[in-house]
Amino acid sequence: MILLNYIASFFLIVLGLYCIVVKYNLVKTVIGLSIMDYGVNLLIITIGFNPGGTAPIFTWGELHPESFFVDPIPQALTLTSIVIGACVTAMSLALVMKLEEQYNTIDTREIRRLRG
Amino acid sequence: MNMLSLQHFPIYSIMVLFLGAFLIVIFGQNKVFRHTVALLATFASFFFMAMLFKPVMLEGQTIAYWLGNRVPAGGYAIGIALEVDALSLFFGLLVSCVVFVACIYSIQYMSHDDNVPQYYTLFLMLAGGVMGLVLSGDLFNMFIMVEILTFAAVALTAFRNTANGALEAAFKYLVVGCIGSTCILAGTIVLYAQVHTLNLAQMSALIPGNLSSATKLAFALLFIGFCTKAFLVPFHPLAADAHGAAPASISVLISGVLTKSGIYGLIRLSYFLFQSMALGTMQFWLVFLGSVSMFVCVTMALAQHDFKRLLAFHSISQIGYVLASVGLCTAFGISAGLYHAMNHTLFKGLLFLAAGAVLHETGTTDLGKLGGLSKKMPHTTVLFLVGAFSISGIPPFNGFASKWMIYQATYQRAVETGNIGFLLVTICALVTSTLTLASFVKVTQSVFFGQLPKEYENVKEVPFGMRLAMGILAAMCLVTGLLPNMVTRYLTEPAARAVFSVVDYINNMMGSGYAQSAMAAQPLNPDVSFASAGVWSPVSWLCLLMIALLAVTIVAIAGKYDRVSIKTPENRSGKYDLFYGGEETVYSQVGGDDLFWGFKHNWRHYFSFMHELHSGVVNDYALWAVVALALAIVYALIVL
Amino acid sequence: MILEAVKYLAYVLIFPGFLFCFLTGLLLSGIDRKLVARMQKRVGPPILQPFYDFFKLCGKETIIPAAANRTVFLMAPLVGLAGLVVLQLFIPVFSFTAFSSVADVIVILYLLLIPALSIMIGGGATGSPYAGVGLSREMVTVLSCELPLVLVLLAVCKKVGAATGTGLCFSLTEIVRYQMANGSLLGKLSMIPAAVAFLMVIPGETGSHPFDAAEAETEICEGMLAEYSGAPLGVYKLSHSVKILSMTSLFVMLFLGGIGGGIQNLVLALGLAGGAAGALTILLDVIVLFLLCVILTAVAISFVHAVTARLKIEQIFKYYWTVVSALALVSLVLAWYGL
Repeated sequence: MILLNYIASFFLIVLGLYCIVVKYNLVKTVIGLSIMDYGVNLLIITIGFNPGGTAPIFTWGELHPESFFVDPIPQALTLTSIVIGACVTAMSLALVMKLEEQYNTIDTREIRRLRG
Repeated sequence: MNMLSLQHFPIYSIMVLFLGAFLIVIFGQNKVFRHTVALLATFASFFFMAMLFKPVMLEGQTIAYWLGNRVPAGGYAIGIALEVDALSLFFGLLVSCVVFVACIYSIQYMSHDDNVPQYYTLFLMLAGGVMGLVLSGDLFNMFIMVEILTFAAVALTAFRNTANGALEAAFKYLVVGCIGSTCILAGTIVLYAQVHTLNLAQMSALIPGNLSSATKLAFALLFIGFCTKAFLVPFHPLAADAHGAAPASISVLISGVLTKSGIYGLIRLSYFLFQSMALGTMQFWLVFLGSVSMFVCVTMALAQHDFKRLLAFHSISQIGYVLASVGLCTAFGISAGLYHAMNHTLFKGLLFLAAGAVLHETGTTDLGKLGGLSKKMPHTTVLFLVGAFSISGIPPFNGFASKWMIYQATYQRAVETGNIGFLLVTICALVTSTLTLASFVKVTQSVFFGQLPKEYENVKEVPFGMRLAMGILAAMCLVTGLLPNMVTRYLTEPAARAVFSVVDYINNMMGSGYAQSAMAAQPLNPDVSFASAGVWSPVSWLCLLMIALLAVTIVAIAGKYDRVSIKTPENRSGKYDLFYGGEETVYSQVGGDDLFWGFKHNWRHYFSFMHELHSGVVNDYALWAVVALALAIVYALIVL
Repeated sequence: MILEAVKYLAYVLIFPGFLFCFLTGLLLSGIDRKLVARMQKRVGPPILQPFYDFFKLCGKETIIPAAANRTVFLMAPLVGLAGLVVLQLFIPVFSFTAFSSVADVIVILYLLLIPALSIMIGGGATGSPYAGVGLSREMVTVLSCELPLVLVLLAVCKKVGAATGTGLCFSLTEIVRYQMANGSLLGKLSMIPAAVAFLMVIPGETGSHPFDAAEAETEICEGMLAEYSGAPLGVYKLSHSVKILSMTSLFVMLFLGGIGGGIQNLVLALGLAGGAAGALTILLDVIVLFLLCVILTAVAISFVHAVTARLKIEQIFKYYWTVVSALALVSLVLAWYGL
């Protein structure tokens, strides 16, 4: 079960990279970035997950030595990472819009005034 | 705890920048207010860093600060920490100082743009991100700061979005930068899975004895992540795009500050977290990468025809020097590398500001269109020449002092190890330095000398504020070049010592005795010696030069050296008519691309190959990143 | 204290500084011209012709071009000359060194750039297109010479360092001292290619035939000097002559330093002691250095000048980065493996 998660996250990261490298459409590049991000998020969550653990929500006095729960730190990290991922998507889509206005295309092969 | 104790200064120096950014978002419509806030915030940040100079650099303390006073309990660091050792402080001082100068410059440079409040917000966010990165004692916070500074840098690259290529550069930078950031995040989390902590000090204690395939993978991921931040080969095209398109004051930060944060990350990663630099293969990796960056980027720079793109490639070339020197794993080498990092920030800042001044007055940075500006902008020309001499390593400017140390360090290392590879690095560094001089001769000839095109007849000198910022940097270039002993004793040598005192770093953070108990093997503590085989005493040299120059000048003036002279054809008397047949002056500027064809002709295959390679398609650059990542993973799994 | 100051001032102004450079440099240049003429079966100018030229130029009017910045235009030649004179202070005259603890070989390598840079800045500032072309060629020539020069210097450093047991030796004084005790480096098999390479670098660095593309007077009107006249031009010509002295005496000190040991032994054999011995040694050192410089000028500059035609700039680059660099590299590799 957990192994499947690792495989899936690896697959998502590779898929994202593949998408960025191979697709010439700017929007697809942005999608690739997002997929890669989701892959990493899944990886983080999986690392913090303990099979059979409860949610790490304990108030004062509820925590006992025998409590078994998932690691809360990766979940906090994931939240941060999701926020950052959303920012990436928003910003890159804004750039794509502006690029389309200026170059009248969203094909990466034609957006190469800066080269050499 | 007293609010004014030194303990709090690191967090203050980060906070003031972010606070300034938020204040400008809210109240930034008022011009005076936003300038005051930006200047105050950057200066305060520098001030707090400077206050730490005495305890950290001179007395060798390490300042640990736990947010919310959550000190580690039971040998586990859960809280978020800032840790300032001499290495962090070295970069912190450098960053805050340059940010302050760039802020002074921005006030007049950005006066013609719209959306200036947003500019200052992003500017302060970028500065705060870098400050946070270098002062952080926590790997995940380093990732957050990397993201903040990447975002701010991308947004600022696209700030003048009507300028040619700005959006394109920003998008490319965003894509590859995000691949880098994702690598850092993935590496961080893989390490967390292995050692269950994110605190740098605790990780440094736990990782070296706990190397598995997973940690090696994490090393490669983090390595590539920080490489993208330092724009090392193969990420150099993005640097060129981003620097070229961003406003000059931002190019200063991207080149002087952002790349340094990448170098800082690489040092923390390889010397602290993994302590792997004792391995010859790791030294080879860093030095090789540095040398390749150094050489490839200087040749790319020679082929450029845009002022700022050319400077951008030089940035990476100089970062190559830094990395090659830091990768030697000798105290002298690290000291030399850090010295060069500092000098690079100063002289490259100066050069970018000079490029910005040219852009501000003429509206272009195309080397083929400019010419003859030395007559119109004499101060800018002199300041530019100071920067150009510094980067080319002409004595007595600072570039020479640090490059000289790098040559000594690499050659000494070659002799110590008997490895002829290091010798090649020395040769490569020496030749690269001359190629750097060549490309700056090209810029000088194309922009400042030669003939003035008609359309720039009315160009004026830039406003005082911009010259002041350039003047500060130029003075610092000269001072740090003339006093290499002071600089090394008070800045780079403490930092280099800090690199070799991992145990102190860990104990300071986690409580004394932690390193001894937690570490599987005590890190090797090499002989920290700063001895060099050569001698260079710039002050004596300068005295001699001045005496000689004075003597020559006195003789020359006594011999009526400057006896005159027609200055313009208008005021000439009849006796020169013989030389003026009444012909029109023809505009003939020699400059731009063809200046060094004698050199380029011999290398034409190389240059055309490189031109083809840097295709400008973002997919190619992403592919390079993926290939670099794959190579790094394979190499790390094999050698580490 | 004052005595010290006067002594150092005398070093800078008289020997081995300004006056010495002035006399010897111009004399070498005169000898070079005479030799070339004789080799080409011409009568040639008198040996003192460069002196006449220099004083004649100093008496002429200086014309400052309209496009040039007056200060830069006038100061650039002086800075270049001062830089060369200071460089000469760091090159020992066998046992005598004016300033040994200021600069090492790497610094000297960079100081050699300053005269070239001064001529480029001065020429560039005039705005003349001839100067632009000359500047481009001068830079490529400097670039060409740099690689072989670097290799030669590193080879010598390694050789002497390995022999003295310090591993590395960057100090020129030390290199000369080693040779005075152990015989010239030219006698070592591994250093012969480096010496040959250095001989080939001399005409390139001094910009003499066939590597004078930067000043090609028949082609681009002396390039960067096209707009110069009067005394500044004279100073540039003087710098050019002094550079011949610098390069040849650098060769002597790098490869023929052992002769200094012979001189010392000779003085000892004469049974002199104290100040007289010191004075005689320095006198002999200077005379021998001058004679060696003349021989080197004849071999490396005059002979090559007489028998070759000017190369194109890309040929110069190719020549230095292949033939000459390969020679120097052979030496470096031999020295590296302790031969």
